[in-house]
Amino acid sequence: MSGPSPIQSDRFSHDLLVHDGDGDLLAGTRAFVEHGLSSGGQVIVHSTPERVAMLREALDPHPRLEFGLDEDLYQSPTSTLFAYQRMLAESREPIELWATGTVPLGDDPATHPAWARYESAVNEVLRPYAFHGLCTYDTRVLPPDTIAAAKATHPCVTTRGGRSDSPDYQHPAEFLSNPLAAVPGPPESPPLVTTALHSAHDLRSVRRLVQGCAVGSTAVPRATIDAFVSAVNEVLVNGLQHGATPVQLTLWAETSKLTCLIADPGPGIPDLLSGYGYPEPAGSTGLWVARQLCEELFLSNQRGAGCSVLLSTA
Amino acid sequence: MGVLDGGGVDADDLVERGQLQVFSADDDRVYSAAWQASVIDDALSGGYPTVRLSGEARTAWSLMAPEVHAGIERATDELCRALPVSVLCQYPSDLTEAVLQDACDMHRDGLREVLVQTSPIPGGLAIAGEVDHSNARIVHSALTAATATRPEGGGPFVVGLGAVDFLDVAGARALLTGTTAYRARGGMVHIPEVQAPVGRLLRLLGVDRFDGVSLEEWR
Repeated sequence: MSGPSPIQSDRFSHDLLVHDGDGDLLAGTRAFVEHGLSSGGQVIVHSTPERVAMLREALDPHPRLEFGLDEDLYQSPTSTLFAYQRMLAESREPIELWATGTVPLGDDPATHPAWARYESAVNEVLRPYAFHGLCTYDTRVLPPDTIAAAKATHPCVTTRGGRSDSPDYQHPAEFLSNPLAAVPGPPESPPLVTTALHSAHDLRSVRRLVQGCAVGSTAVPRATIDAFVSAVNEVLVNGLQHGATPVQLTLWAETSKLTCLIADPGPGIPDLLSGYGYPEPAGSTGLWVARQLCEELFLSNQRGAGCSVLLSTA
Repeated sequence: MGVLDGGGVDADDLVERGQLQVFSADDDRVYSAAWQASVIDDALSGGYPTVRLSGEARTAWSLMAPEVHAGIERATDELCRALPVSVLCQYPSDLTEAVLQDACDMHRDGLREVLVQTSPIPGGLAIAGEVDHSNARIVHSALTAATATRPEGGGPFVVGLGAVDFLDVAGARALLTGTTAYRARGGMVHIPEVQAPVGRLLRLLGVDRFDGVSLEEWR
């Protein structure tokens, strides 16, 4: 068995610290923060107000050490993920970022898988950068499935004894089929509308249809609807360009949520994580934009043939 | 004629009164610059204050070489500048890149497509409607034509998007590719205030981080 290897400061790392008391939390956080500061990085400690107060008390101040609240920094999994990516990818100077803390899992375990999928996607989205995460999971308050998901979404585990590879880690594309990821399917209620596109000239009428249904049948805010219509448009263009016609669209409109399934009978999509990476200057940007203009977007290949994309506003 | 009737215009009545003249494409006289000039002259001397002409490029191409048609287009352009004449030239939307570019070069007074319209404004080009994957190449060609002869010293080229209701990634890319050559010569492109969803996409794509592009500060 190989011994624990230290974090390499110029490479991506995303570690898990599972703890059942404040002592382990504090020791692990302190070691991570000190490593980040000594390697010249920017360090951020984020959590709930109570925990941030405790850690601020325990850690020595430093000009490159910041504290933040999850309620400000981690508003939704998708916005958090791409905010980190944009900060790292669009910085004029290379940044080394060390972030430690909790994700805002909340009291309802039904909301936990969305953050588990975020934790998994971090490994794909932030891999090219000198980003270091130490995510702390407290077994006193979190259910076993949430801890199990964390072990599958963090490549390395940190304990008092050191650092080792997580035996339960799964590649982000594989994790999507893990029951702990709880990837949602389409709503069980009947769809509001279905339609098919045969060429790019149908894009406008489908945008009108989605927008009209959303404004008329839901209480989703207008800015969210506009963004969703843009996301749908990009997925449709992707289907027309890389898939085959007809591209089928099915829309569900719940009071506070829009869901759209877009399927085409083309060759399917080789990479289910398409659209996560920061686009190359001349590369394809449609799915990257679509992922940011809605809250959830899942790519899948259908059993027979073809690709389907499920996207929703919440 | 069917299109006019469908649009609520009584074409037969207009023809009877002489206000509308319809010519068949296989009439030998129709596609020549001299014939156009004489028809316009007749109408103006007959007391009509302005004359409007419209024809289909695809029909013309079935009767003559594209170069000959292009010559007539240029002569028509001069008629529009000299006389109270408006001409709407109808082109099919599935043109090749080069032919589309030529068509845009020859019609700098404005383009009309199902979803998008362009028109010159002082120091730039205004775009209105919806720019998406279906028509982005038209916007690309219109911008290429509008910036082709512009000197790079005289202030930024303004791309007015205030009347654009929808822009997608293909459309945003056309704003960049349509001005690539101009920006490569040192020209600047400025985009004044836009509608909120358009602004959100332009910011997401970081359009203002491309050389020579500036965006108006907006909320």
